Amino acid sequence: MARIELVNLEKSFGAVKAVKDLTFTIEDGEFIVFVGPSGCGQTTTLRMIAGFEDPTSGEIRINGKVVNDLEPRDRGLGMVFQSHALFPHKNVAQNIEFGLRMKKVPAEERVRRVREVADMVRIGHLLDKMPSQCSGGESQRVALARTLVTNPSTFLLDEPLSSLDAKLRRELRAECDRLHQALKRTFIFVTHDQEEAMTLADRIVVMRNGEIVQVGSPMEIYSNPVNYFVADFFGSPSMNLVAGEIVQGTAGTRFRAPHFDIALPTRFGTAKPGAATLGIRPESVGVAIGAKGDIELPVRLVEPLGKDTLLYFDAGTERAFVAVTEGLSMAEIKVDERIPLTLDPLRIHLFESDGRRIDTGA
Amino acid sequence: MAMTKSRRRRITMIIRYAVLSVWALIAFFPIYWIVSTSFKIDTQWFAWPPFYFPNPPTFSNYMNVWFGAEEYTSTQYAISSQKPLISLWNSTVIATCSTFLAVLFGSIIAYGVSRYRVLSDLRMFQLLMLRMIPPIVIVAPLSLYYTAVGLIDTRTGLILVYFLTTLPYAVWMTKSFIDEVPREVEQAAEILGASRWRTVFEIVLPLIRSGLVATFLFILILTWSEYLLALIITKTNVATLPIELSKYQGSTEGRVYGRQAALAVGITIPLMIVGVIIRKHLARGFSFGMVRR
Repeated sequence: MARIELVNLEKSFGAVKAVKDLTFTIEDGEFIVFVGPSGCGQTTTLRMIAGFEDPTSGEIRINGKVVNDLEPRDRGLGMVFQSHALFPHKNVAQNIEFGLRMKKVPAEERVRRVREVADMVRIGHLLDKMPSQCSGGESQRVALARTLVTNPSTFLLDEPLSSLDAKLRRELRAECDRLHQALKRTFIFVTHDQEEAMTLADRIVVMRNGEIVQVGSPMEIYSNPVNYFVADFFGSPSMNLVAGEIVQGTAGTRFRAPHFDIALPTRFGTAKPGAATLGIRPESVGVAIGAKGDIELPVRLVEPLGKDTLLYFDAGTERAFVAVTEGLSMAEIKVDERIPLTLDPLRIHLFESDGRRIDTGA
Repeated sequence: MAMTKSRRRRITMIIRYAVLSVWALIAFFPIYWIVSTSFKIDTQWFAWPPFYFPNPPTFSNYMNVWFGAEEYTSTQYAISSQKPLISLWNSTVIATCSTFLAVLFGSIIAYGVSRYRVLSDLRMFQLLMLRMIPPIVIVAPLSLYYTAVGLIDTRTGLILVYFLTTLPYAVWMTKSFIDEVPREVEQAAEILGASRWRTVFEIVLPLIRSGLVATFLFILILTWSEYLLALIITKTNVATLPIELSKYQGSTEGRVYGRQAALAVGITIPLMIVGVIIRKHLARGFSFGMVRR
């Protein structure tokens, strides 16, 4: 129904380039999440697709047709805003009905379809309420229903959940997922929350400073970040990142930093010596009590979460070095105890001083 | 300790109320005096010690001023040349038309400024600066110009000049209301298929209605009571109420305070009626922005 191509898309606000030379294709029916820190250009990109911002240069194509000069209403898209943007002087039913009225749908059919979508997003009981009487979560459902009812080819969602509290956010996240599965439409979702991106996306587009940093499935992004920024941005708790240096010696390739002196896997055999950052996710750090570990670090904090226990170690870095262990078996570890740790050699990442991942082709 | 605190708070309250009451008395006294004078018989207008209450109250001032009732015109305060009802009509036409035009065009300009920045901040300030020119400065050239184009002493002439002089207020006031309407609400309407005009009429206008009404009243008060420009531009044919009012203070009429007060009260009442009718909007209009977000 809708394949959206962005070709060399650029947008400047005065001297500031908000989006730089963006080329990317969104396939029909895909759930795409644009993610990055606030202000990295993902909202501007979405607004250009919607037609609220004119690109400075480049093209936007929907199903092969250039839409740069089309009005938002002629692009066949639906949009949900961060602020909900409900019409405050119209009740919920009138809000939902608005799009149908603009399309001159007959009154009986409007009533039927409003009912239908209201039930779909479980707000059937709110139809007579005014937006000011709805809670944040309810408002966002109304906004969703208002977009759903017009049956757009593509849903554009601009940080739709960021004004809600954590529990509601999870709930509506599931709702978005369910709708995407049921409708089989293209969803373009903008967020700065990596967790939302990970749970919702078919493909994630990581943006930074107006540029695409990496595109891939959540798993690809998570396990093979192309650079330090992506590695650091995704995952909670974050990836452990330790600044140090690569040393080539008689003992093979080694990574050295205060508290660290480990042999690197053979795939890093050709890595250039010099400053580098080692990255490893907390779940790839093994706690080897009573055995010989790769490193040994003192415990600073033990956080039993129930299902897991987080161990925070002092590695002399600004951020604590974190390990995740299953269950509560490690909950009794005493602070300041020195614990041997193993690092899964397959899961070790190295980043050059400019942030790029040291690729070994493996 | 707690006693002293609550006591101190009570004393502060008493002082606060006392000060405000005195201030209210001072502020309301002139209004009371006008109303009271309008019901006094002529001997009480200047009496010393003053009569605080009309005794006995009389309608003669009103009858004379507004209806030129025969039985009263034979007095020394006979007013022959005044036609307050015609002036009332003139004022009504001129004030409503010019206010309507100012709010209409003002809000259109304000929308353009708010959404498309058709005027830069500097231009907006310059627009407001137009109001900083004392009206007396433009009166002489304007009256010459109006004589040349045949607008002198006409309702159209006054409507035009009121419209233009109040336009800056209209733009500034309505802009602040339009700014309060989130852009995203308009964009939501647009992407749902509404044209720009449809969006303005169905979304923006209803949301700023109270603001427009408040602006309307504000400008209506200005145009209703404008004196200087009316005095110069409309000499005889189209007198407005403030002109009418001033005639009771002139050398030909003497100081007929009772009559003047009766006219003044009559001039004020229409505005108050308008205010009462739209009071719901006024409260909303002037508190706009403080309630939402």
